[in-house]
Amino acid sequence: MALKFKGNVWVFGDNLDVDYEIVPFRKFDAGLIKLEDVGNWCMANVDPDFAKKVKKGDIMVAGTNMGCGHDHFQANLAIKQCGIACVIAESFDRNFFRNSIAVGLPIVELKGINEFAKAGNELEVDLHAGTINNLTTGKALKFTPFPDFLQEILEVGGMDPYADKLVAAGKVKK
Amino acid sequence: MGKTIIEKIMAKAVGKSEVSPGEYVQFSASRIDHPFILTGTDMSERFGKWKSQDWTLFDPSKIIFAPEHCGSYTRVGSTTTNRENHRRNSNWLKQLGVADENILELGRIGNCHHLAVEKALALPGSVYFSAMTDGHAITVGGVGCFGSCMSASAPAFLRTGWTWFRVPESIKFNITGKLQDGVMGRDVYEYILGQIGPTGAIYQVMEFTGPVMDSMSMDGRQSMCCLAMFTGAKTGIVNPSQGIIDFFKARTKVHFEPQYSDKDAKYIKTYNYDGSKIEPQVVVPPDRHLVHNIKDVEGTPVTNAFLGSCASGRDEDLRMAARILKGRKVHPKVLFNITPGSTDSMSRVDKEGVISTLLDAGCFICAPGCGMCPGFYTPLAKNEVCITSSTTNLPGRMGDESAQVYLGSAATVAASAIEGKITDPRKYL
Ligand code: SF4
Repeated sequence: MALKFKGNVWVFGDNLDVDYEIVPFRKFDAGLIKLEDVGNWCMANVDPDFAKKVKKGDIMVAGTNMGCGHDHFQANLAIKQCGIACVIAESFDRNFFRNSIAVGLPIVELKGINEFAKAGNELEVDLHAGTINNLTTGKALKFTPFPDFLQEILEVGGMDPYADKLVAAGKVKK
Repeated sequence: MGKTIIEKIMAKAVGKSEVSPGEYVQFSASRIDHPFILTGTDMSERFGKWKSQDWTLFDPSKIIFAPEHCGSYTRVGSTTTNRENHRRNSNWLKQLGVADENILELGRIGNCHHLAVEKALALPGSVYFSAMTDGHAITVGGVGCFGSCMSASAPAFLRTGWTWFRVPESIKFNITGKLQDGVMGRDVYEYILGQIGPTGAIYQVMEFTGPVMDSMSMDGRQSMCCLAMFTGAKTGIVNPSQGIIDFFKARTKVHFEPQYSDKDAKYIKTYNYDGSKIEPQVVVPPDRHLVHNIKDVEGTPVTNAFLGSCASGRDEDLRMAARILKGRKVHPKVLFNITPGSTDSMSRVDKEGVISTLLDAGCFICAPGCGMCPGFYTPLAKNEVCITSSTTNLPGRMGDESAQVYLGSAATVAASAIEGKITDPRKYL
């Protein structure tokens, strides 16, 4: 996967909690939501039809403190599974940030993104180059790309496949 | 230029002379030579494929395995029995080389973040990792340790011992004066949350300092650090006291080097608060950051009280509840669930008569672990109203989504259990 995406923007607010706005915790913990189809529940408490409406390759834009609360990675999986290619937010919760890299969900932290991208805009994001173009408004933004090893983790699809690579290359003690 | 405690711990852990905020660093577990990773049943269950792979652990001797991270097998709504899961997982870890004494069984356990300290996995100046979905691993900041949960990176970490970190900026919270009797570490944290809000410390470290912290117990410090995530922080941390160093020296033969912030360390912000003015704080439903002084919500009727979780349930919390309940009774309409954090803690305070005082008062004492925090043992029924010293109050967290959860200190919970309504604990002290 090249770290380049083009898609339509869905906008959400600040302080989206992994266990409430992103995936309802009680239903998940009670086994009513399975990890395999957690994508169908993505943002269900905010917009019950979101998972149906979103298209593969779309881009999620959020405000500050995206993915706050506990470190439950079903939230990151839900966003990835429902088809979102990349999440851009003003700022991320620390656990959500790590879990996104771990499950291979590309993210960009960028102050000013809420002003720059509105619902329905079409964006082009290049994680390697550190650029975002708004194809609807014609404006562009830059950001500092991740160091190479984090880009590589995202490229191979997350920490599990990355660990396979490390083990196969004999880079870690067997 | 001086460095903060977190920068020093991280630099040491990755083998660099210094690290700076914003830097991404790569960590290899081979640098740490004692057990410092805790994992549990639930982690492997959520990663079905974990066990189907041909797996090796990078180093089985660094791993401790505990039943659940919650210290129980009683999961509400669970489809398979966790006892079976535990048996399967412990057999499997044994095959991968984890020694019998590193596989803990009920009766020797508790909530995992209590265990991290009780079993000396988290040492001052070092790092501690929870290889589960468990953000409250940051609780160990209370003993001057950098705790982190591996969450979704856990399987990869257990296989490779490799992971990465982003070095955080630090914010200094200087708390002066002296806390009033009945105001606990918990109240100090919630007060700060009320001041800086849920985004006040995103991806930053909250370093708590000042006279109030110097005199605060290890238990109170852990409560505060446990909750740091609710202001968006990566962790909370406190420079360790001599008492804490002595606690670990008595528990482990492993050599450890406590770290302390330099006088000229760089903080991106400093907040000063007068600890003597802090009142008991209550967080009201449905949001984690709606913090009030207790007088705003006094008198709100409650049907349940819960004392426990990684944010509470330590010796000091149990003693405080016993002090308030001694010679008194829990309100006839209230179910007061008290879940000590660990077997060790329960046993220590039992010797002082704390447990029998609580039983005499009519409390329901559960086996050590997380208790009602994730809805175990006595989950909240429809429309119940609970006051609790646990971590969070999101709808559905502790049971039915219609139940209302108020958060307060162990003292506030105990006083409220007596009156059947939210009550200022200071009147009982
Ligand atoms: S007490 Fe609650 S927050 Fe803490 S580890 Fe247990 S379930 Fe998680």
